[in-house]
Parts: sequence; structure tokens; C-alpha cells
Amino acid sequence: MMSDTFEPKIVAFVCNWCTYTGADLAGTSRMQYPANVRIIKLPCTGRISPLFIMKALEQGADGVLVSGCHPGDCHYTAGNYHARRKYTIFREMLHFLGVEPERLFFSWVSAAEGRKWADLVAEVTDTVRRLGPRRSAWGEPVEGIAAPRLSANPVPFEAPAGTFAAQAEAMREKAKALLAGGEVGTVIGYEQGTLPGTARPAFVSTPEEVDRLVWNEHCHQNLAVYAARKPAKPGKVALVVKPCDERSLVGLLQENRLAREDVVLIGMACHGVQSEGALAPRCAACQTRTPALADPVIGEATPPTATADPRLEQIARIEQMAPAERWNFWQGHFSRCLKCYACRAACSLCTCERCLAEKAQPRWIPAPPDGAGNLSWHAVRAWHLAGRCVDCGACSAACPADIPLYLLNLKLAQVVKDAFDYEAGRDPAAAPPLTTYREDDAQEFIR
Amino acid sequence: MAKALRTEALLDFLRAVQQDARRLVAPVEEDGLRLFRAVDRVEEITLAEGNTRWSFKEVLFPRSEALFHYRLSGGSVALQEPDQPEGETVVFGARPCDAAGLAVLDAVFAPNGRPDPDQAPEHEDPFYRRRRAQTTIIGLACLEPGPACFCTAVGLSPTGTAGSDLLLTPLPDQGVFLAEAVTEKGERLLAAHAHLFTDTDDTKEQATRAAEGRIQRTALSGVGGPLATLFEAPPWEELAARCLGCGACAFVCPTCHCFDIVDEGNAAGGSRCKFWDSCGFALFTAHTSGHNPRATQPARFRQRVLHKFRYLPERFGVQGCVGCGRCIATCPVNMDIQEVVAKVTG
Ligand code: SF4
Ligand code: SF4
Ligand code: SF4
Ligand code: SF4
Repeated sequence: MMSDTFEPKIVAFVCNWCTYTGADLAGTSRMQYPANVRIIKLPCTGRISPLFIMKALEQGADGVLVSGCHPGDCHYTAGNYHARRKYTIFREMLHFLGVEPERLFFSWVSAAEGRKWADLVAEVTDTVRRLGPRRSAWGEPVEGIAAPRLSANPVPFEAPAGTFAAQAEAMREKAKALLAGGEVGTVIGYEQGTLPGTARPAFVSTPEEVDRLVWNEHCHQNLAVYAARKPAKPGKVALVVKPCDERSLVGLLQENRLAREDVVLIGMACHGVQSEGALAPRCAACQTRTPALADPVIGEATPPTATADPRLEQIARIEQMAPAERWNFWQGHFSRCLKCYACRAACSLCTCERCLAEKAQPRWIPAPPDGAGNLSWHAVRAWHLAGRCVDCGACSAACPADIPLYLLNLKLAQVVKDAFDYEAGRDPAAAPPLTTYREDDAQEFIR
Repeated sequence: MAKALRTEALLDFLRAVQQDARRLVAPVEEDGLRLFRAVDRVEEITLAEGNTRWSFKEVLFPRSEALFHYRLSGGSVALQEPDQPEGETVVFGARPCDAAGLAVLDAVFAPNGRPDPDQAPEHEDPFYRRRRAQTTIIGLACLEPGPACFCTAVGLSPTGTAGSDLLLTPLPDQGVFLAEAVTEKGERLLAAHAHLFTDTDDTKEQATRAAEGRIQRTALSGVGGPLATLFEAPPWEELAARCLGCGACAFVCPTCHCFDIVDEGNAAGGSRCKFWDSCGFALFTAHTSGHNPRATQPARFRQRVLHKFRYLPERFGVQGCVGCGRCIATCPVNMDIQEVVAKVTG
């Protein structure tokens, strides 16, 4: 196509101590290599945030190269080990969103490897030149390719008769006892919503008010979102939690947002919950139906109905799409995003006092709810939840535009599980995967 | 005398309308939700009862638009005109609540009555004004209001004409849509397609009574009145304890109209963009100093309620909520504005 005339723009983020010095050596040794690469020097790959890669793509780079010191050589001991973990996840994410993986390059180039640098740049330039220009701007659909649609196959919901009512009674008794005994000042549970077949969070602070609390298949919200907020009434807070909600608490404990003794957990053994009249997608194959952390666990859980998670099939179908189709699949969904930030607001692990989306200097995420702004928002939020998302379904349920955010989060959870054998929200004592590293972490994607 | 359009002739009418206008915007189903979209083929349009997930306000007040573009070179700045507006547009399927909500957008962005693009004072929003002048609204009355609907509670009706240029009311028993031209634009539409319409003695009275009877929610009495003294009084803290502080309610609302303006670009140039904002966000009122006059979520929720039920009636003489029920249905935690207003004024 355009490969004869097309001169790709390639952005290279390199560390100061190894690769930049290596590039310098290539220059002073008068080695020839293509001039398509614009080098941006940073102190360490540990400082080369994946957001830089995203920004380069947003600004129209045809390819991105990241390079730093070989494992064991980091000037700051372990910056490159941490970076390697980040890139492992981030490049899988971009790939899942439809960015061709062939446009992203990672390498270790030492100060002595001027030749390696020159050859690498030649190879990178050649590869990207052969690929041609990116097929669309950041956040714009590829023209001439329809956005594929995935139909969700809701699993029919079967609720065991009577179980909810007995549990509800026991939950209310516990709540009353906690409030009457002064052990907590507020119980956050569920009450009936104003629309048919809905429940909503309820804050009660006297034993009399407890009669409002309900427990049924509509109690799908994750009340852990209120855990780290200061309650209006003095005293501790007790939360009514499902096992998946409880996993948020594990995350909050790991991240020191909360201490275990700050909150009382009324754990509800789970039968699955409904969203839009059917079993919530995450519940079909959920294996953790009994709370592990809660103070009392109320009731007996119902075993899962399905053995396979139906969402994994959706992910597999996305992965079968060609990159441009995948890209359009996501742009089709993201184009509806209003940037209402309900996903963030409903997320118990989006605890930042000031979200990156609200920062203007530098502006990583274009503010308007349009193509570029929406894609960057979704990439950043998924990235920030990688290794942290506990799959409670709150963001997807909150989204007024019905964007299947869970597919992106779940995909990254799979990547984290495969690469680092880690599952979020399981063990309060475990080190979150992006706060640690192993010297022998896999690195086949790094040259 | 009222006019009738045979039910089967609706698509012919819309096809003809589409040929005359540059753009026909109507409800379609997409990924399982109903949205207003510019349609290619009128067959895509859904006539299902109930509301779209969000209103059609973005036809007039897009969620994001460039006010101008700029290029930077050396020390100089070159400004470029914004993109051309979409041109002559017909919105079909506007529900009476959404259509009535235009009164709020008009009051804020084009306060001098029906906007005329050539004669409007400086402070009007020229983008809104231009789009408004080029847009015709064909309303579609509701026979089956949903569980969140409460238009009658704020003095409107599921078959009301306010805001529509032409209103179609389905009369299934007669096999027709009753067509009422409300404005000159509506008259012109009828005249241009006169061969599709017949004179009729039918009225919408019965349909109106039936539809209004389906709305379960209690009337909000003295809207604007009692709220005037309730800034501190009612327990906003308790009413809004569960509010998460997202913008879903504002963005689906047909009357919310707040926006932000930022420059998006790089060292070479960019665009000055205007895009939707919401009083539900903490950032909305945050000062550079760090001080925030609406420091808590309950204070922000109170603003939402009072803006609609007190400040807009007081300042512009328009009603800020048209009872479409969208915020109630889309809120992740079921903050229910009708319930709250009924409670604090009741
Ligand atoms: S994911 Fe599991 S714990 Fe959570 S609601 Fe569903 S079944 Fe219950
Ligand atoms: S998206 Fe990221 S920055 Fe924003 S609140 Fe969530 S974790 Fe924090
Ligand atoms: S909740 Fe949905 S519409 Fe709102 S910002 Fe998140 S993805 Fe976008
Ligand atoms: S406040 Fe709610 S019910 Fe009223 S017009 Fe807006 S979205 Fe509709």
C-alpha cells in the first residue's frame, strides 16, 4: 500500500543510564540507523509509565519503543523489574482493545550495546513501515469495518425459595443488636428501591430503622464503596456484604484504606443476585459463595448453577476478532460513554481523592466525552484496576450506557493470574502484583 | 380540525421527512439499550413505549463540541472556525416530557423566545441557537408511562404538546396517529405532506385519561414554594447519604445543561471544547485554592433538587424537572428525586 512513501513516526522512551547511553554510543560510533525514532529520555524504565505509551498513541505515533537496562543492571536496583510487570499487563490490554501488538516494542539495551540499538531501531522502523499507518486516530473507529456486536446470553435466574427471607430476618437481628449495643453507629444494608424489583443501599442508625432493611436477589450493589467514607453519624460502620463485596474489603485492607477493626461485616452467604431480570453475569460460575472475612456469616450458600463463566466465552470471541474489528467493537461501546463517572463512583477500589481524569496538568485523559477522551478514560481506569478489580460487577451495573466494562476488567484479571499467579481480593496479607516483582518474571515480549 | 395519519403510513411520512431534512434523529435499539441516533433507514426506528436511556438534548446541546480550533506557531495563534453544525434536523419520537424540557434549555441558552439566528443578543449561545432554529421536533405521546414516570406530578401530561412542533398521539383502536401541529414549523410539516393526512373527529381525550391513570407517583405540591425555605431544614444528610457523586443523573436528564470548557491540544494546536458537566461532581465547585463551597455530596444533591424545583422556576419561570424519571431509573443507588421532593415538601 503506502509502504514506499510512508515514513512512520516512532516514539522511543528510554532510560537515561543504559539505553540512552547505548544510543549515544551508536551515534558517536557513527552507526547508521533510520531517523524515524524520536527519543524521549527518562531516568528509569520505572518512570516510563504505561500512560506515556498511551499518550504517544493518542498523539499519533505509528509505533512505540520502550527500552531500559537489562534485568539486574537497573541504576535504581529494581525499576526495570517493576516496569516489566506493568508492560506485561498494559500491552495485553492494548492488544485486547485492538491496538496491533506489532506496533509496540520493548527491549533491554545496555550502555555498551550501541550496535543492538542501531539494529533494533532499524528493525522497529522496518516493521512499522511494513504495517503502514495506524488505521484510525485514537478513539476513532476504523472506517469500512462494522462494529461487531456480542449478544449476552443471560443465565436464567433460579432463586431458592425461602432462603432469602430467613437470612433477612437473621441479618436484621444482628443489625439491631449491633446498634442497640452501641457497637456500631451506622449499619449500611439494603432497602427496597422505588422501582419494581429493585433494592438500594440504606443507612440506618437506630434499631427501629432496621426494619427497613431487606435481603433479596435484587441486592446487587457493592456496599464496600461506602467503607472508606466517613459516616455522618458517630461510631463504627457495619456493612452487609456478599462474598464478592467482601473481596473489595480485602483490597482496601491491603492498600491501607481501612483497618479490619474499623468496620463490622455482616456476611451474607450468597445465592447469586439479579441484574435486569437475569442472574448477574459474574454470578453464574462464582465459586466463592460464603464470606471468608465477615464477623457473622448468615445462612447457607447456594452452589453455582454453571461450571463455566459465560463471560469467558465473550472474551474468547473478542480475542478471535481481527485487531480492527476488536478496535471497532470497543469504539462502538465507548462512543456511548457520557463520562458520567458512575463506574468510578460505584467502584469500591477507585478510592483516589482526586482521579487522574480530573487532573489537567498534565492531562493524560482528554476531558471531553468524545473519541479520544473516552478511549483514554477506559484504558486508564481498566489499567488502574488491573490486579485490584475484584469482579464485583459494580461499574458495569452502574453504567447508564451499558458498556460491558467487566469484559475489560476480567481480561486483565486473567492476564494477572496467568503472569503473576495472583487473584485480587483473596488474601489481605498478599502483596498486590504491581507493588512487587520476581527476578524471573516472564519476559518473552522483551527483546 | 385535527388530522390523522394512518398507522401504516408513519414510515412513509418519516421517509418523506428524512428526504427533506439533512438528518433524522429517532430512537433505535443498540446493544440492548434505546438511544436517539441519526438514522439511515426509517425501518431502524423503534416505536416501543417508554423512554430512551437519555434524552435527545444532545441534538441541540452536544455532549462535546469544539467552539473553535487553534494553531500555534512561533509566537502566533491562528483561530479557525468550528466545525459546521449538522444542518436541518428532524427529531422524531420525542416524548412529551423531553419536549417540554426544551423550555429549560431555551431559557438558559436562547432566552429570547423562539430563537432567530440573525437577531439575538450577545449573551445567547450561538451554537445552541443555530441548532435550535434548524431543528424540528415531532413528539410522540405515551400510552404506557413506566414505573419511574411522573410527568403528571409536575403538571405535564403523557400526551402534552409543550415543546413539540408536531405531536403524534397513537390511537391504536382507530388505527391512526392523531396529529397536532403545535407551531408554525409543525404546520409546515403537515402542509408539506398533506397527502398523508386526513381530517378527523377523533380526539386524544380517552388516551390521555388512560395514560395519566397509569402514573402511580404522587403530585409534587407547591413546587418552588416550600423548597424556598428548606435550604438547611430538611435532613439532606440522611436523604443523600447513599448518593455516590457521579454524573449519571445529570447526563440522562433532558433539562440539565451545565457544561465545562477546556482547551484540548498539544504544542501545535488544538480545540477549545465545551462539554457536559454535572453539579454532582465534587470538582464542579472546587476552587483552585482547594476550598469547595459544596463540600459534601448531600450539599451537591441538594443543589440538584433546588436548582430544578426552586432556582429555575424563580429565575426563569420554567420548571426544572419534567418528570421523565430517567435519573431515578439510571441512578446506581436509586436516588429518587420525586420521592425526595415529595418527602421534603410533604
Ligand atoms: S459474584 Fe458470587 S458472591 Fe457475588 S453476588 Fe454473585 S454469587 Fe454472590
Ligand atoms: S480511575 Fe484510577 S485515578 Fe481514577 S479514581 Fe479510579 S483508580 Fe483512581
Ligand atoms: S459509567 Fe458508563 S457512561 Fe459513565 S463514565 Fe463510566 S463507562 Fe462512561
Ligand atoms: S430531574 Fe430526573 S425526572 Fe426530572 S427531568 Fe431530570 S432526569 Fe427527568
